[in-house]
Amino acid sequence: MNVLIVEDEKALALEMNEFLSKEGYIVEHAWKKSSAEEKIFVNNYDFILLDLGLPDGDGFEVLKQLKNIKNRDDAVIILTARGAVDDRIKGLEEGADDYLPKPFSLNELMARMHAIIRRKHKLEKNEVKIHDFVLDIQNRTVSFNEERIPLTKKEFEIFNYLVLNKNRVVSRMSLTEHVWGDILEVNSDSNFVDVHVKNLRKKLTQCTLTDWFETVRSIGYRINY
Amino acid sequence: MNLQAKFALYNAITKIAIILVLGSIILLSLETISSNHLDARLKKKRLKVIENLNDNEINSLIKNNHSFTDYNILKEEFIVLTAIPNTGNIDTTIFFKTDRREIEGDIEIYRILNDQFEFRNKRYKLELGETMTAMDSIKTTVRFYMLIVLVIALLITLITDYAFTNLILKPFYKIIDQKINKVNDPTHYNYANIPTNTNDFRILDNSINSLMRKIANLFLLEKQFIANVSHELLTPISILSSRLENMLASEDLPLAHENKIFASLKTLNRLKVIINSLLLISKVENEQYLKTDDIYIKQELDDIYEDLEDRIIDKEIIYTNTVNENFFLTGNKGLIHTLLINIINNSIKYNIKGGKITISDHINQKMYVLSIIDTGIGMEKDSASDAFKRFERKNNNTEEGFGLGLAIVNSIAKFHQLNIKIQSEKDKGTEIEIEFPIS
Repeated sequence: MNVLIVEDEKALALEMNEFLSKEGYIVEHAWKKSSAEEKIFVNNYDFILLDLGLPDGDGFEVLKQLKNIKNRDDAVIILTARGAVDDRIKGLEEGADDYLPKPFSLNELMARMHAIIRRKHKLEKNEVKIHDFVLDIQNRTVSFNEERIPLTKKEFEIFNYLVLNKNRVVSRMSLTEHVWGDILEVNSDSNFVDVHVKNLRKKLTQCTLTDWFETVRSIGYRINY
Repeated sequence: MNLQAKFALYNAITKIAIILVLGSIILLSLETISSNHLDARLKKKRLKVIENLNDNEINSLIKNNHSFTDYNILKEEFIVLTAIPNTGNIDTTIFFKTDRREIEGDIEIYRILNDQFEFRNKRYKLELGETMTAMDSIKTTVRFYMLIVLVIALLITLITDYAFTNLILKPFYKIIDQKINKVNDPTHYNYANIPTNTNDFRILDNSINSLMRKIANLFLLEKQFIANVSHELLTPISILSSRLENMLASEDLPLAHENKIFASLKTLNRLKVIINSLLLISKVENEQYLKTDDIYIKQELDDIYEDLEDRIIDKEIIYTNTVNENFFLTGNKGLIHTLLINIINNSIKYNIKGGKITISDHINQKMYVLSIIDTGIGMEKDSASDAFKRFERKNNNTEEGFGLGLAIVNSIAKFHQLNIKIQSEKDKGTEIEIEFPIS
């Protein structure tokens, strides 16, 4: 899969590049609106990660250009630190697939990209297999040997997020933000998420061994697959 | 009393005054004219009487005095001649007076000429009277018609004045209504001029427009400023947090460094939350949010409970929600959710293990009141009032992320014209009442 990062902040683009490359994405950069427009004209991308505040114009114009080209299915995620309330609505109205305000966690970006892949490619089965468990993303259920495991909403959300970011450490903070995103709290390093993870792991362990479900020291969790 | 009514009243009063003054002048002059007229007539009659005097006449007049006989049946006039003793000086001046006289049982007002004269060495006193009844009746009639004219004029002027001022002041009221009363923020302001040919209103309209333009510009500047600040502050955080996340992902990281990196990420997150909170407050105050959602409080509380359920269970809190009314308001759903979740989250955070949270509601004259009572650690009396001050962001030394949460609550409440009351007692708990106006 190839990704175009349209971002004038080179340091940030490089970090995103490092992260995405590890995941096997082929990454290209555009630092400016003009070069972004050239690139989208020449190549198809699976993802365009679009910053709004570009040195030579507004990211929205790149989005408009893209929508003017016929038969294009590039997924666009707007990444912005501008933080104007109407930007989100405008972005989605103009055809962006998602909107992620900066600063975001790279795990969250990955989760959003996965969600778009599933939506865009309409995977025949909206299911993800992880060891002997099957996550039904659509119905938000988890089953083991076709038997449903009774998970709470939050537990499913946590499991899903970890699976989307499999083989990567997901910090407690990132998990908390993903699950309880709208509670603005200064001390978000609470142990609530641990309680949920503990319960989740207990439920999964009742079915089979889950040594692939790792607690990574004081930082967070990782699912290896 | 509004301007229009004042104008109408003022016009009515001045008109009444003018009519009253004119009326009394007319009545007064009528009286003077008529008495002058009567006096002239009486003088003429006196001359006639005196010219034609002879013994016979005098005798007949004096004889008639006993019965006061007049020579016309309407008793419009009378003549009285009496002999007076021949002593002292004779006063020959003619004088007039208005007086009542009884003639054959009827009392009437007469204009009376008094005269004394000598005839064949005898002195006589002559009284000639002419009735004033006719005059009075004219005066009464005039007075009556004046009253009618007054009332009619008053009514007509009241109605026409009211209609006219209504017509003239209509643009004024339209300006007040559309440009001042109905405007809450400059984004929903209509700059079109209200049609009027009154210069003053045009000036008023234009000044309000230009004022509003200034405010709108300021709002726009502030919006740009917020966007810039937001960009400048959040971009470095974004770079740092991505970099730290990437570092954490490397396998061969020594444990001590890993911990430090994670701690740095946490610190960075704290910074991010603070900046986002401040930006949220600024954006609310900058009125960047739409208020177009129908929000059912009951539904919001259910959603919030779902979000916070684990925290409530974790602290073994007895959570009672007796919200009954099916109240809804039009506003920004996300913001109201943030407001409620902040308050309820506080009452969980500052509660004791096994404590209580009670949420109830009632409707009280034009208000829907939602109250959230907890049995938490509470606050000292002055810090409870301080909490209000902190709402105003006067005091911003945030201990434990307390001030910002309430500051957010406060700005959202103001944005939605909600009133928040807080009562707290140390070690007993806190009661927060949110008053929603019923439109």
